[in-house]
Amino acid sequence: MSAAARNPRLAVALGVLGLIALVSLGAPWIASHDPRAAEPENQLLEPSGEYLFGTDLLGRDVFSRVVYGGRRTLGVALLTAGITLAPGIAIGLVAGYAGRWLDWALMSVMDALLAFPSLLLALALVTVFGSGVVQIAFAVGIAGIPAYARVVRAAVLEARAVPYVEAARAIGARPAGILARHVVPAIATPLLSFAGVTLSWAILNSAALMFLGYGGDVAAPDWGVMLADGRESFRTGPWVAVAPGVALSLTVFAINLLGNSVAPPPANR
Amino acid sequence: MIGYSIKRFGSALFVAWLALTLAFVALRWVPGDAVDATLARGGASPGEVAARRDMLGLNDPLWRQYGDYVLGLVRGDWGESLVTEQPVAEIIRQNIGATSALSGAALLIAVTLGVALGIAASLGRWRPVRYGAEGLASLALSTPVYWTSTLAIYVFSIVLGILPGVGGEGIRYLILPAVVLGFHTAGSIAQVTAGSIRNAMGQGFVRTARAKGLPELDVLDHVLRVGMLPVVAVVALQLGFLLSGTVITEIIFVRRGLGRVLLTAIDNRDYPVVEGLVVLSALTYSAINMLADVAYRVIDPRVRMEE
Repeated sequence: MSAAARNPRLAVALGVLGLIALVSLGAPWIASHDPRAAEPENQLLEPSGEYLFGTDLLGRDVFSRVVYGGRRTLGVALLTAGITLAPGIAIGLVAGYAGRWLDWALMSVMDALLAFPSLLLALALVTVFGSGVVQIAFAVGIAGIPAYARVVRAAVLEARAVPYVEAARAIGARPAGILARHVVPAIATPLLSFAGVTLSWAILNSAALMFLGYGGDVAAPDWGVMLADGRESFRTGPWVAVAPGVALSLTVFAINLLGNSVAPPPANR
Repeated sequence: MIGYSIKRFGSALFVAWLALTLAFVALRWVPGDAVDATLARGGASPGEVAARRDMLGLNDPLWRQYGDYVLGLVRGDWGESLVTEQPVAEIIRQNIGATSALSGAALLIAVTLGVALGIAASLGRWRPVRYGAEGLASLALSTPVYWTSTLAIYVFSIVLGILPGVGGEGIRYLILPAVVLGFHTAGSIAQVTAGSIRNAMGQGFVRTARAKGLPELDVLDHVLRVGMLPVVAVVALQLGFLLSGTVITEIIFVRRGLGRVLLTAIDNRDYPVVEGLVVLSALTYSAINMLADVAYRVIDPRVRMEE
């Protein structure tokens, strides 16, 4: 608690993220309407007491869709981040610690993947995997692995150069033990900070693929899908895009703020 | 220096080769391509589909297809679209101008705005200026183009009516998409600039410069020379982002360009076109990164010393 009190950014970030998590988890109790129920007679109504954020082109309640949308958008993003982090950490640790030809081989493949701009790589992978929520998570997640593996590797290289790790190696400690006891704790802070960057990136890119229509279910309450709906009707109903857009930006903003308040973002390379 | 450049060129070439091999393997892996889809829609018999596949070389052994593909790339024959039968190289030629104009303009805006925000956030004399610049950079980072585009079109084209919205070509139609794309990209440039300048400010040479009574303006010159170096690297990285950012921007603003071509090709499972565009962006990106690495050594003698 005292950490949050001393650090106002941390407090704001945690407060906003807590609120978003609470609203997403409590969606069934907070939403005022069925997020999927189309009422053509209530098409594009302006925000009012009944429809807090107005209704969309199909007469669905935008407020309820935003509230439910957090579940899908953030759920996909968490899965995406997991798909990036687990292999990314493993590859970075192995490459950074093993060194030599294994490092060279792993990093060559990572560099080759890094040569594709991440969203383009994700798009190409969606071509391979097909449309769907899980497919998007895998496409965006895999596209993020090389960048994360590189950051992990760089941190490992720095951590293994310190004298106490050298000493542990000199007395014959096993590599796995050195990794777990000395290297991982030393690189935890930069990794955590970059994990924040990865998460906000996962949110933005998976929502981008949803926006482009690769999510399969085009009626689902989802911030990316809603932004696509909002684009269709922004001439007559600009409010349709505003609510999911603000929700998305607020989430990413809070995650970046959290990352920056825990540790400064790692320098490039 | 020349030795380094040659070595760096070699490794860029190797990475590019690996990248296009990965693209080849991934796209050969998937079942069902545009030949099946297009011909089946036209009511072709399985025999006709097989004949067409034979003609396109899709039934050759994989190593042979790979060899033809790499040789073709080198010769400038990038295959042809399975849907329109137009050569991929020609499709790229027709659309690359519009995409380059958009990403070039966006990059210009991103670098100008990003560096200005970064300097204001780190060197601003007045606290509200620093906080304001930092806030604006964070806002830029957290607003994706598929959301700001809609907003920008609504505000500038519908409410204010000062700029054209979607469709059309020419400079006036370039402004909104370039600003939207540039704004988002400026966020990370600003953050790196600010961080790097703050880092430079804390170094010994700044204290030395101040201690020997150098005017503050000269100290600033010292700081910026060092502080702006990492910005070169991040601008190169952001170019990659711009390459993908144009995809969404082109769709929303209904512009011609490679991004639109790519999405159409993905929807049609038109693999030669997807492959061609992915390889093109990988080659561009590797070339840019190589140039940035070499430029880095030209600008900063310290990096050369470490070699």
